Amino acid sequence: MIIRFNIWYLSSFLISLTVAVPVLMIFSSFFENTSEYSLILKDTFLLDYIINSLTLLIGVLILTSIIGIGCAYLVSFYDFFGAKFFKWALILSFAVPAYIYSYSLSAFFENYGTAYSLLKSISGDAVLNSSIPKLDGMIGATIAISFSIFGYVYVLTRTSFHYQSQNLIDLGKNLGFSKKKTFLKIILPSARPSIVAGLSLVAMETLSDFGSVSFFGVSTLTTGIYNAWITFDDLTLANRLSFYLLIFIFLLFTIENFSRKKAQYHSLPKSGFKTKTKIKLVGYKSSLAFTVCFLVFFISFLFPVFQMSYWTFLFPKHFFDLNLIKLLGNTLLLVLLSCCLLISLGFISNYGNRITKSKFLQGLTTFSISGYAMPGVILAVAYISFISFLDENIYFFKNYNIKSFFIGSIFGLVIVYFVRFYSLANNGIRSGYLKINYSIDESAYLLGYSKIKTFKNIHLPFLKNSVFLVIILLLIEIIKELPITLIMRPFNFDTFATTAYTYASQDLLEAAAAPAIILILISSAFILITSKFILNEK
Amino acid sequence: MKNFFEINNVTFAASKKNKVNNVSLKIENEGDIICLLGPSGIGKTTILRTIAGLEKIRSGSISLNGRIISSSKTHIEPENRNISLSFQDNSLFPHYNVIDNIKFGADRNSRKTKKLKLDDVIEFLHLQNIKLKYPHEISSGEAQRAALARSLLSMPDLLLLDEPLSNIDQNFKEEIQVKLKQILRDYKITTIIVTHDSYEAFYLGNKCGIILNGQLKQYDDPYNVHHFPNSIEVVKFLNKGILIPATVVDEKSLENKDLGIIKGDFIKHYPKGANVKLLLQPEDLEHDDKSTLKLEVVDKKFRGTNFIYTLKTESNLLIPVFVHSHHVHQHEVEEKFGVKKPIHIDHIVCFD
Repeated sequence: MIIRFNIWYLSSFLISLTVAVPVLMIFSSFFENTSEYSLILKDTFLLDYIINSLTLLIGVLILTSIIGIGCAYLVSFYDFFGAKFFKWALILSFAVPAYIYSYSLSAFFENYGTAYSLLKSISGDAVLNSSIPKLDGMIGATIAISFSIFGYVYVLTRTSFHYQSQNLIDLGKNLGFSKKKTFLKIILPSARPSIVAGLSLVAMETLSDFGSVSFFGVSTLTTGIYNAWITFDDLTLANRLSFYLLIFIFLLFTIENFSRKKAQYHSLPKSGFKTKTKIKLVGYKSSLAFTVCFLVFFISFLFPVFQMSYWTFLFPKHFFDLNLIKLLGNTLLLVLLSCCLLISLGFISNYGNRITKSKFLQGLTTFSISGYAMPGVILAVAYISFISFLDENIYFFKNYNIKSFFIGSIFGLVIVYFVRFYSLANNGIRSGYLKINYSIDESAYLLGYSKIKTFKNIHLPFLKNSVFLVIILLLIEIIKELPITLIMRPFNFDTFATTAYTYASQDLLEAAAAPAIILILISSAFILITSKFILNEK
Repeated sequence: MKNFFEINNVTFAASKKNKVNNVSLKIENEGDIICLLGPSGIGKTTILRTIAGLEKIRSGSISLNGRIISSSKTHIEPENRNISLSFQDNSLFPHYNVIDNIKFGADRNSRKTKKLKLDDVIEFLHLQNIKLKYPHEISSGEAQRAALARSLLSMPDLLLLDEPLSNIDQNFKEEIQVKLKQILRDYKITTIIVTHDSYEAFYLGNKCGIILNGQLKQYDDPYNVHHFPNSIEVVKFLNKGILIPATVVDEKSLENKDLGIIKGDFIKHYPKGANVKLLLQPEDLEHDDKSTLKLEVVDKKFRGTNFIYTLKTESNLLIPVFVHSHHVHQHEVEEKFGVKKPIHIDHIVCFD
């Protein structure tokens, strides 16, 4: 085996090291002193933060399991009116970030909100306000987060169900199982790794949520980290809190990895696969299945879209006040810079790993991309800590004002995006590379193709679909991204996400609606473009 | 005169345990074909990969056309060796169709004066009907032929073929063997072929190397490998005969207690009275119904042009014998079968 310590090796090493910086910074916080706030926090809110985080986590896990698995089961195993539509329509919920969902929920159910207006216009009775449930606080956050991210469970479970062979179901019939028993004993266990993987992603997203919990005033570990840094200016404590959260997330990450490995045992050999025959539902059963899927689609996507559209039409002034060109320009600038950086470095790292075949390098890459589990707030804080460390401790940097260059600048923002989304880019390109047998490269070398020529003529044409998918996914993520943009952006630099958040945090929800609906529509368009990839049918 | 290709005392390591040690081998003339035979997993493919430059060596040297391409100090990158390796598994570029895959080979052959033509290669390998198909749309045999076409078209200084015809249908196989040999000779493409098929190796190779137990046991022309195997391991690997106990009677004969006197020319001298193991190959015995030496038939295999009878001696030795399939009558299992006496073998091969 040829190990080449060349430019590819060095580049891959440096890229992985850069991505690993936040994780290393968080670990290093244990060697630094914290302010007195840490003592106060220990005696007061820390337990609340932990309890709230766990409560939220459990609530979201239960709700997303029911919605995600239920919908995946219906569209995978039954043929009913609208089943084909709901198959992809349900993934549109990815276009609605939890914080925007929270604004919609609050706007609809608040005192004299949209629900009240609706009821009043129908019944003419103005006393109904008190009978409208107030979905805020912990319940509001749980619902908002669940309906905006249940898609992870839905997509992964549906894919698993989609690739389950008819033979499995026939086996249940041969053993005399009822439909319920077949579902519980055969279908569900064989999809277990996918369900666990989906739930792990849900858990990570829930723990790292900032926009929704801060809007509903629920104090979790993530808001604690934000407060430690913003309110008490204690970066070390913020990092230390991050560490606790990270331990928890790593645990989930391990479970997810473990379940994915196990998933291989559940895959069926190609030869033994038989496409499923969907059961045709008629009468009330068909209506029931339709109603369930429609309700989920309505609540998760149509509801926030209607609510935001309603306000945009009701208060058109806010829409026209928006500097659309500037917001679009800012968003596109971030997308363009981040995508260029992520795709090019993702390629360099993958190619470096591929040709050097270094186990150390592969280990470092795996370690560094585990940072994807880190909440955006933590990443931003860790990054700022790192730049501050360089500024204060490294003589070379003292002569330059590196803080102003790296913090509160487009450059710094793109770097943290890079760290945040590197796993997405790296894994996307890697999954494409995994389909290219290494003997393909060797064949090219033996036909006289250099490394660069092999990359250009063999790898790039093969990977173009993977790269396209990665770019679209990055685009959706970057458009929706909130906490990193809030912390790292230059002064007066806004995106659709930050504009919506800024208005919402000032209780100007009707003003937040216009940027929110544009954000949802752009994301939806890109989700539809990639729906075949997301549903794993291409 | 310098050899065209030479391996000098190289250890090929597929893994820490799996090595082929201290191999020395040479190809004297450009255009020669050599075949490497050996059991699965012995390291034949590793030898090809190392020659191609995909693996490094720690000792010894490999030279091609007078230039050292691998040694402990030198390692010329695979793309700069002008050596082509056709892999056993499908290594076609998945996103190009068959014809485009094959054309990749043509990019390299520009400096040769006598060039193979794309259409000729496609025709000889029967690829006309699949040339617009993608690798996932063709069978493994077709993919193997396409990969072979690509390698041939690159007109390398040294062509390495790893089980090139293993997935190809039997009806094509012999035709392709004939044309492949013709092309390799006509275009003077020096080739090393790894195969598990001894008949293929004996047909294609100017020389054959037998790799056993981590060593190149024998490197010789096919006739010698078959008729004069140099060790018991090679005899057992080729499985073309059996070893029976015998005692040397004089310079021209030896004796087995079941078969009697066996005459012939020893290829190596043994003293009178020495106990040896004699190699008896199926073609060494002659059927004779009138002979007094009768042995019991225990098995009969029909191989089209001939039968292979397995005969049992009094001391339970099982001896294979070829009989032309047009022989007027057949012998069934448990019947007696006459063997011409005295047995005469042209060259007597014995082991201690």
